[in-house]
Order: sequence, then structure tokens, then C-alpha cells
Amino acid sequence: MAHEVVRHNLPLFDEEGRGAAADDQAGRDLHYLPDFPEEDPFAAGHRTCAGCGPAIQYRWVLKAAGEDSVLAGPTGCMYVANSTYLCTPYTVPWAHTPIASGGSFTSGMAAGYEAMIRKGRYPGTYPNIIVMAGDGSAADIGLGSISGALYRNHDALFVCYDNECYANTGIQTSPTTPQASMTTFTPFGKANPEAKKLPPKNLAKMMAAGHPHCYVATTTVGYPVDLMNKTRKGLNHVGAAFLHCYTPCQKGWVYQTSMTVELGRRVVEAGLFPVWEYDPETREYHYFHPPVQRPVTDYLAMQGRFGHMLPEHIAATQRAANQNWQDIGMDVPPDLRAGEDPAHHKRLAEETYSMPLNRGIGA
Amino acid sequence: MTSVHVAGNEPHARLSRAVRTAEGDRFLTELAGQKLRLNGCAAAAYAALYANVDVITAYPIRPYTAIMMNLSQFIADGILDAEYLHADGEHSQLSAAFGAGSCGARAFTGSSGVGVTYAYEMYSIISGARIPIQMAIADRTLDPPGDFGSEHTDALCTRDMGWLLGWAATPQEVFDKSLIAMATGEDPRVLLPQMVVQDGYFVSHIAGEAELPSAAQVDSYLPPYQLPFALDPRRPVSHGAQIHPEMGPPLQLERARAMEDAVPVIRQKTDEFAAAFGRRYPHFVEEYLLDDAEIALVISGGHSVTCRAAIRRLREQGIKIGMARLLWVRPFPSDDLRAALRGVKAVGVVETNLGLGGASYGGILSLDVTTALYQAAYDRPLVTSFMAGLGGETVPVAEFDWMAGKLGEAVARGRVEKATHWVGFED
Repeated sequence: MAHEVVRHNLPLFDEEGRGAAADDQAGRDLHYLPDFPEEDPFAAGHRTCAGCGPAIQYRWVLKAAGEDSVLAGPTGCMYVANSTYLCTPYTVPWAHTPIASGGSFTSGMAAGYEAMIRKGRYPGTYPNIIVMAGDGSAADIGLGSISGALYRNHDALFVCYDNECYANTGIQTSPTTPQASMTTFTPFGKANPEAKKLPPKNLAKMMAAGHPHCYVATTTVGYPVDLMNKTRKGLNHVGAAFLHCYTPCQKGWVYQTSMTVELGRRVVEAGLFPVWEYDPETREYHYFHPPVQRPVTDYLAMQGRFGHMLPEHIAATQRAANQNWQDIGMDVPPDLRAGEDPAHHKRLAEETYSMPLNRGIGA
Repeated sequence: MTSVHVAGNEPHARLSRAVRTAEGDRFLTELAGQKLRLNGCAAAAYAALYANVDVITAYPIRPYTAIMMNLSQFIADGILDAEYLHADGEHSQLSAAFGAGSCGARAFTGSSGVGVTYAYEMYSIISGARIPIQMAIADRTLDPPGDFGSEHTDALCTRDMGWLLGWAATPQEVFDKSLIAMATGEDPRVLLPQMVVQDGYFVSHIAGEAELPSAAQVDSYLPPYQLPFALDPRRPVSHGAQIHPEMGPPLQLERARAMEDAVPVIRQKTDEFAAAFGRRYPHFVEEYLLDDAEIALVISGGHSVTCRAAIRRLREQGIKIGMARLLWVRPFPSDDLRAALRGVKAVGVVETNLGLGGASYGGILSLDVTTALYQAAYDRPLVTSFMAGLGGETVPVAEFDWMAGKLGEAVARGRVEKATHWVGFED
């Protein structure tokens, strides 16, 4: 007689005024988060860089998931920076997987727990099974393995921490690296002043469109409550869930280390990373409409990786952002439309842009 | 344990024996003691059924596919309760079995030919993590050319990756060896993944008689899978953390010793198998008419059946020939092979594999055989090798006769003509 597989149902955090960012002038206090769990399954003592976006994301995801979790981590910066032999920061079981095995190894963990519980081998509740894969792993070499896992609908949460490059190996381009970004595989030079010439893959849309039975969402480290709630929604969803999280990389993007969370909001406000949630029940996308819409220069100029950009590159990026605004059902303000004209811009290094308010956590 | 660290000294959370379905219990009760006509693929699937595996990871490629087809039918019929995971390729297939095994689930997988090599990254990782999954391989020639036929190169490519690796020559032996390998690999003194290999088509698709045991016999021979460091929230561990180079030598030494440590456990599990099931296999090397042999063929896998028949005929003609069949290639049975070949004057290694540009410019097995014999405390025999059965071609009796002739010439001449003979291409 098969044993029943009992699953967790994690309560969501109150999003009132916190789920999405308010504008610059409001909402600073909303980042005080006293109701978050004290437990930190991603403990201190790792070797991530100052201002590491993925480390912030790891911490929020594991706080949301709690101690009854099993975690896999494919090769990437968060493997190398977090796991040193005899000293890892995880208070939950964690396993390294090869870079292409994020989806498949995690499938095996999910299948293992399903079978072990059903066959009376494991007495507990079905644990939260989570993999956090970098963009190289999730969008490039391990794309098929994650797609296979989503297709098979294992009850697990597949997270892509997207720092828009292969950071671990020294900042090489990945499929999510934005066009015109400088990486060590896409340098700029006289013959190619643009640096990267390809627009990025739309990873999350591909996952949602291709696996319509899955819970799929995007978020950024700029919105902790949103990130934690989407983590819990993904875990509560019985079946596969995919969470694409924008996580700035200070080392790769070249910005001030205190600006990680700020970038997590500016990228949304600049229209360059739409935040949304796909509901597999209704098969509808729910888009977050940020209260502020900024020119892309407010985002680009904070980062050294874009410092070489010429007016035509900025204009092309604004065109891409304006397309995103339309895609998520927002009007394009006239000044952003005007930004599609290269004549509207100087070289990025000479642009003036709104200085970031330090509105992140700890402000 | 290699690449694993365990926090604290709490006893690990033990997992109980997996329950079978009522339908499975009925089915196995009816089978107990019966002799069925099974091909090698079915025999491997029956072994996984008896072992009550928790997770099966599959991907289609001929000829091993039939193993997975049998298992999916067992599940569809309610005879086996297991998660059946159709992966998106062999790399994922091995990764998923690895993930399941790391959590404490008994995981079973398999492949053939280029499927085996597509998953190559995973072999060192799984054995280094000491996760004892089982992989059933039905040999197939690697591309090019596109060929369904059997060649041992696929599995032999993985020989240095830290898996227990051995060939079974009949469906009955496939069934038995799958259990012996699992009992050995899962033993806490070993904890190594296992490849149980059968020749494609010659063994995988030709039926032979196989006697099946009772479920109780298997359950008492094969204890529940207990990984001492499973990914279990009740006792958190980290698997596969990065090391600094100075940790490399001791960790690699441990992996090398794990292979050595497996040798006595294989002996023990083979003996226990004989006691429990009444079928006794040699620990490592089958010695066929070797006692007074002057020449001998060293062979592995299904062609040994033809080889035995050829040797019987040659014996009738007065030729003192014998056969040493390797039941395991990893760990390589250097001691047992030396003991088996004592007194033999010339040895020919039958290579059903391709080792391009190696020391013999022929196959793979002869390199290990030669190295083992070099250390012999007695007068070493001459060694040559025979490339035969490539691409899945049969190795008929006449070819074994020809090999015997070459070995006889070598004895008469006092040296071998060359390190590698291509059978069928030479006079």
C-alpha cells in the first residue's frame, strides 16, 4: 500500500505596499522586514564579493523555503564562492551538480523523494526541493536539462540567478547578457565599438510558453517581499516552478557595491527587466507596472560594462525598453520615445543621469 | 568520504526497506523458482524489479532500450512502484539517477554506444561522490559508422572513471551479476556505482534460460540501500564542495583505494550469492581448461560462449588451449588473472573493442592484461592480441581456431609475431 506524499504549504508574506517598489520619495520604511523568518539556511561565512546580487537572492530564497529543504547548485560563481571543502554556508542539505545538470539532478532528487515517501522509506513531509542555477547553466549549457525537468513537472523549484554573464570564469557573455554589454568574450574595439551584438534570450518567457503547466515568474533582488513570495508560490505549486531572478554582479558589471538592490529596481523602472508572474491555472501573465518609468541611461550609466556605449547603442537599448513597456501593457512616455533617436543621446560616458538615492536595505 | 563532508557526529537517518506493491508481491511469488526464457535485456529489467529500485532514468538508444521498455511495463502493470524518469538525453539521465541516489533512493539507469559516451562527464562525478547507482549497458559500437552492432568500446571508454565494471555472458548471468554488483556497490565499505554490461544483441536480444528467485531471497541477500550521507533535511550534509589543490592527492588516493577495497567485497558478495541462490560464479576470472594449458585466450563477454565451444574442439585435436574469462574489468583482477595463467606459454587477448593508437595499436584489454602479467612471479607468457568481432560482427569458431594457430606459432618461435593481429585480414 503506497504511503501518502504530504507536501508543505508555506504562508505568503503581506505584500501591502511592499510587494512592488514605490517611487523614490516613498516607501523607504517598507524595507524594514520584521516578519521575515529568522532562520538563515544560507548562513554567513561564504566568499561572495561585496555587493553580490546572487548572494542576496540565495539568502531570500532559502529564508522563504526554510530548513526542510534540499538544495542543488550547478557549477557557477555561487558554487565556487560558496562551497569550500569542509566549510559550506548551507544549513540544509546541498549538493553540487555539473553545470548542465541543474534540471536533471534536481529531477532525480524530486523523483527520489516521491518514490521514497510513497514506498515507506522516508517518513517525513516532502521537502522543498530547490536548484539555483546561474544564467550560463539555466539559459545555455543546462537549458535542455531544466526544460526537461519542467516538461516532466517534478515538484521542485528551479531558480535562475541571472547575473547576465559567466561571472565565475571571468565575465564572459551568456545568452542573457544584454546587447552592447562588454564582457571578456565581447570586448569593444575599433572594429566593433558596440561590444555584444546580440539581443538576449528571453529565458523566462521561453520557460512559460514552452511549459504552460508550470508556475513561472520573474523578479529581482530589488523586491525582497516579491522574491520571497514568488519563492513560496513556486514551492507551493504542486509540480515544477521556474523563477528567473535578476541579480547584479558587481565584479562583472562594474558598479558601486552598495547599488545592487538599487539596480534591481532601476532595471525594472528602465523597462529592461519586466517583472511578472505566469499563472498556469488561467494561463495568464500578470505584469508588474512600476510606478516610475526611467530613461535607460538612468540604468546604463551606473555600470562600467556599458561605459563604451555610443548614442546609437543607447538609442537601440531604449527602443528595446520601449518595446518591453508595450509588451507589458504600459504606455511609452514621450521622452522615452524620443530616446529612440540617437541624436537624443551623447556617448554614455558623458550622459547626465538621475543619481541613485540610496534606498536599499539599510538605507 | 571522498568529496563529502559530514557535519557533526549524529548517526545518519536510516531509511527503511522499500515496500512492494500487492501486485508486485503476487507476481514475484508466482515467479519464484521458475525458469523463464529471457533475453539479456529482460534479465536486467527483472533484476531491477527484484531489487525494487526507487527511481529509473531512461533515454532510448538501441539495444539497451528493451531494458527500459520492460521496466516501464512493470510499472504500468502495477508490479513495480518506481519513479520512471524519461530524461532529455543521457547526460541528464545519469544526472537524474545521481540526484536520486544522492537522496538515498535506489536508482537504476542504462545506455548503449554513443549514449554511454554522451553522459561521459557524469561517470567520474558519480563515483567520486560515492553514489552507488547501477547502470545496465548493452554494448553498441561507437559512431562512426552508424552501426547497431556490439563492440565493448562504449563501456570500456569509462574504465578509468571509478565504476565497478564487468561483463555478463548469458541472461542468467546478467540477472545474477546485476544483484551481485548492486550488493557490492551499495556495501558501506565500497559505495561505488556499477556498470553491468552485456553484449548488444548476442546477449541482450537472444533468449536463454534464467531461473528466478523469490523476493525474500533477494531481500535477504540485498539489504535496503542506506547511503550514510544522503541529502536528508533531518541531517544536513554538503556534497561536492570545491577543494584547494593540496586536498587533491589525499582525495584521489581515497578513490583509488575504494577500487582496491572493492576486491574483497566482490569475493564476499559472490560467495554469499552462491550460498543464497545456488549459482556459483568465479570471483573475477572464469578458468576454462587452463590447468594444463600451453596457450590461452583471455576474453570478456558473450563471445566466450563460442570461444568455449572452439576450445573443446581444439582440445579434441590435442591442442592444449584454455580460456580465461574476465568477469570484472574494474577493479581489474590482476592477482586472479596471474594465478589463472600460471604455466601458460602464450596468451592471446580477444579484443572486441577499439583502442586507437595505444601501446598495442589495437585494443584496450591487452594493455591491462600485459601489465598484470608483467608483474608475475613466474616465467611470463608471451602476449599478443586479436582484434575480432568489431562493429558487432560475430566471432565464429573458425576465427578462434585461427587465433589458436597464431598462439601455437608464437610458442614454437619463442616470440609473438606482433602485438596485435587483425583477425580476418591476415593469413
